Parts: sequence; C-alpha cells; structure tokens
Amino acid sequence: MSAALDPIRLRARLAPRTLARGVIAFAAFVALNVAIAALVVSGALDGEWYDFRDLGLGVQQLREWLDEQTADQPGWLTDILRSTTWLSYLVTALLGATGILSFVGGVLLVLIWVERRLIGRIQVRRGPNRVGPFGLLQPVADAIKLIQKETLIPVGADRVMFFLPPVLVFIPGLLVWAPVPWAPHMTYVDTNVGVLYLVAIGSLATLAIFMAGWSSNNHYALLGAMRTVAMMISYEIPLALSLLTVVVLTGSAQLSAIVEWQSVHNVWIVVLLPLTLFTFFFASTAELNRTPNDIAEAESEIVAGFHTEYSGMKFGLFYAVELGNAVAVSALTAALFLGGWSMFGLQEWVPAYLLFATKVAAVYFVLVWLRGTLPRFRLDQLMAFAWKYLIPLALLNLGVVAIEAALFRRWEGEGVVVLGGFALANGLLTVVAVRGWARFLGYAPEREPLLRPTLTTGVGGLRAVDRMRTTR
Amino acid sequence: MIPEQFGRVGVLFGFALLFPAIPLIASYVFYRLRLRPEHPDPIKRATYECGVEAEGSSWGRFNARYYIVALAFVIFDVEVVFLFPWATVFAGMGWVAYFEAVLFVGVLALGLGYAWRRGALEWR
Repeated sequence: MSAALDPIRLRARLAPRTLARGVIAFAAFVALNVAIAALVVSGALDGEWYDFRDLGLGVQQLREWLDEQTADQPGWLTDILRSTTWLSYLVTALLGATGILSFVGGVLLVLIWVERRLIGRIQVRRGPNRVGPFGLLQPVADAIKLIQKETLIPVGADRVMFFLPPVLVFIPGLLVWAPVPWAPHMTYVDTNVGVLYLVAIGSLATLAIFMAGWSSNNHYALLGAMRTVAMMISYEIPLALSLLTVVVLTGSAQLSAIVEWQSVHNVWIVVLLPLTLFTFFFASTAELNRTPNDIAEAESEIVAGFHTEYSGMKFGLFYAVELGNAVAVSALTAALFLGGWSMFGLQEWVPAYLLFATKVAAVYFVLVWLRGTLPRFRLDQLMAFAWKYLIPLALLNLGVVAIEAALFRRWEGEGVVVLGGFALANGLLTVVAVRGWARFLGYAPEREPLLRPTLTTGVGGLRAVDRMRTTR
Repeated sequence: MIPEQFGRVGVLFGFALLFPAIPLIASYVFYRLRLRPEHPDPIKRATYECGVEAEGSSWGRFNARYYIVALAFVIFDVEVVFLFPWATVFAGMGWVAYFEAVLFVGVLALGLGYAWRRGALEWR
C-alpha cells in the first residue's frame, strides 16, 4: 500500500498560500509580543487597572471606588449588616464566582474535545473530527444531543434521591476551586485553612455518588457505589497525608502561602518531595474514578457503575463533573507541587495566571496519558495498595519531612544548600522506600513471555478502505 | 475574617446549585416544546441487567468488609485532621512537639499493623 493511500499516514499537503498566511500570522504575533514587551518595560502599566499581569489591581480599585460610594450614603442595609463595605464585598464575591464558573464551564467544553482527540491519537485513531473545524464543535453537539434525549426513571427507584445526585455532585466540584491561587492577588477565598478545606470538600462527592447508586434500584449501580465509597475513603487517607506533608514543609495551610514559599525559595516542591507527589497523584486518580483506578464504573465488569440508570442530561452532568474534577486536581497539583503561578521570575513579565494555566494543562495531559495507556486495577489490588503500600509510605515520609522542616527553620540562612541536601535525601528515600516496600510486600512484575506487537494492515477496516479506493 | 470567607464560599455554593440547574431546566423546556420525547413504558423503565430480567430488589445486604474499611477510615482521617494544626506550628516548638506527634502516629500505626496481622485488610 502506498503512503498516499494509507489512511493512518495520510497528511494534508501544505499549500503555498497557507504557508504565506502562516508566515504573516507568525510575524504579526511576534510584532504584537514585541509591542507588549516594550510597553511593559516602559513602566506605563505599573499600578494601573488595565495592567493585565495582575487582575487583582483592577479589583482593588473597583473595591475602593465602591467603598467610597457606600461610605457617603449609609443606608438601611449598612445598619443591618454593620458594615460599610458590604457592597464592594458582594460585588467582588460575585465577580470571583462568575470568573471561576466561566473558567470551569469553558474549560469543560474545550477539554471534552481535547481528551477525546488525545486518547484517539494514543490509540492510533483520529478522534472526533467531523463537527466543525477539527471537530471542535463536538462538545456542543454532544450537549445538544444529551439535552434532547429522554430521561428515564427506573421502576422502583427512589425518585427524590434519584433526582438529587447530578445536582449535588457539582457542589464539591465547584467549591474545590475556591482556595486555588491563580496569581499573586487572585485567590477567591484566601483562607489560612485552605488545605484542610480541600480535605473536607474532597470527601463530599462520595455522598452524592452513593445516593446515585443506592436510589437507582439496580444491582450494578449499587455495586459501583459500594466500590466507589470503599475506594474513595481508602484513598482519602494517603491524599490527606500527602497534603499534610506539604503543610509540614512550608509551615502554612494557606494555598497562596504555599505557592509564595516556592516562589521565594525558587524551588518547586516536586523536587523536594517526590514521594509525596507520587502518593498525591495516585490517590487523586483514585478519587477521580479515572483509569487506572476506575473500578467504580468499570465498563467490562459492572456496566457503568453508579450512573448505569442515568440517561440524557443527568448522565451529561456526571460526565461533566468528572472532567471538572480532573482539571481541579491538575490545578491543585500545579499549585502545591509545581510552583503554581511562580516561574523563577518569569511571572514579572508574563501574566501569572497564564503560567498557572499552562502548568494545569501540562498536568491534565499527564492524566489523559495515564488514562490512555494503563489498564485497570482489580478491586482487591487497589484496596490493598492504599492500606498496605501508600499509607505506611506516606507516614514514613511525613516523619522524615517533619525532621527536615524543623532543621530548615533553624538553618534558614543557607537555604540553597539545605534545600539541595533535602532534595537529594528525599530523592534517595523515594527510590529506596518505593522499591524496598514493594519488594517486602512481594510485588513483582509478571514474568510471562511478552507478545511482540506487530502492525498489520490486513485488518478488516484498513483492507476495506484499500479495496474501496482501488475499485472506484 | 472567617465569616467573610465563608460568605464567599456561600456565594460559590449558590453558583454550584445554579450551574447544573441550567441544563436540567433546558431539558425540561425542550420537553415542553416537544423537542424531547417522554414516553415511559414498563419495559423501558425496567432496571438494566444486561438483558436478563432483574432478580429481586437491590436494596439487600452487602459485604461486611465495607464496614471494616469505613471504621479504619474514620480513625485515620480523624488522626490527619488532628495533625493539621500541629503541622503549622511544630517547627518552632522544639523536639518535644515532634516526638509527641510521633507517639500519636505510632499508636495508630500499631493499630494498622494489628488490623493487617488479623487480616482485616484482605479483600475476600
């Protein structure tokens, strides 16, 4: 088969006109960047509301302006609320909530497409490419289709309990975004118990999922819900322990302070605590019900798990919230382990929230990659892995990091040397502990003869395409 | 400070209720406009069991393993919650604070070891 006929290797040829357009667009992009850089260097932007490197400045000025307005004319609301700043408080709260909601909503629409395209490429196929340019309108088409599908309520289902979960499951999915630091002055709820808040919010979704599985009156749904609860509460502990380790090192449970710490010390926590990142990432893929840990909705075992009986838009909501949680976990990983908005000084030049979004996208790519490549674990393997492997390792790691944190407070002077030593020690600890504990528990790779994968063009689809092309 | 922050969380909570309500309402409007079918019948509403008729109610007994996991979870999660305030302040408090936490975690780790030994962690 010639390369031109091979549907997998088929590439569009680059026309000269397209090339010229591309060159012009690239030149315009470079010129725009040079102009922006000149503007930034000139200092004309510093401290003004239209300085988009720091959206917090604009909000601050808006707040001050609103406070002046309310301070002049105290009304009855001022008396009741005993505050002269209630208007600015309400406006900024609504602004922030709208910002978070529009980010999550927009990202959901795009990421459905991104995820399906990426998994398509990983599995050597195209993915959605029919609706709109590059299939970009596929999520919109999906949403329209789901909205106009019939929603069934199974016989004997608990109607109220059946209706509530698709709504309830959104609450933790959106509330988890509250303490995320987007940029130096951009945190919606900058609370000093941020990490504890995350632990509290993270376990709420279990409740909605169990309601969904229980109320469906379906054996598969109930099984899926029971599995979800067992798995999610087991992995809650390594998750909380790894968050705790980060808190021990930085000495603060405030997410913006943790990012600030990484920015000040010019280091990403992933370098200092690789074992913690491993625990956190594995546990959060379990919390997300994503492969390799998606036993809650294992298609080949229990149909679709807890949402077997959900159809139409209700299923769509479950699907959307699953993606949204994946993005939220990417954001938390980026903030806690990859330096958040800080990028070794680059945040002075580039808007910090763009840096943060880039890191979130990178972590999300890893999640999709895992989903596309790893097979699913068995239920008993997964439970044993949480209790026997991750929890002892997380406890050991916590003890070691606590000693290091105490030492670090005393030797703050030689930060670079001390942190470098910690990074080396912890990297060594990670390798030794992960390998040693796995050997102790008897985990070993399967020693079966590997089957060599061979690329064949004799499979039905390819052969059929070939025949159609040649006979026409 | 704290009530202000919870007010903001409350605003976000309201948005979180609103967000899923929009598609559900749109779905209902579609039904009203006769764009979406709604013709339930007994066969369609039967619970899905891979084509086999559903056998009995699914609200029966389930494996006692789940209770053991839940109990162990409660103990360890409470432990972690207790450790959070310690984590933010211990570095300035000297070695006594460290060894107190080690003792606290050690007792619980002993419990985990005991549960492991008795086979409570095996999923049968």
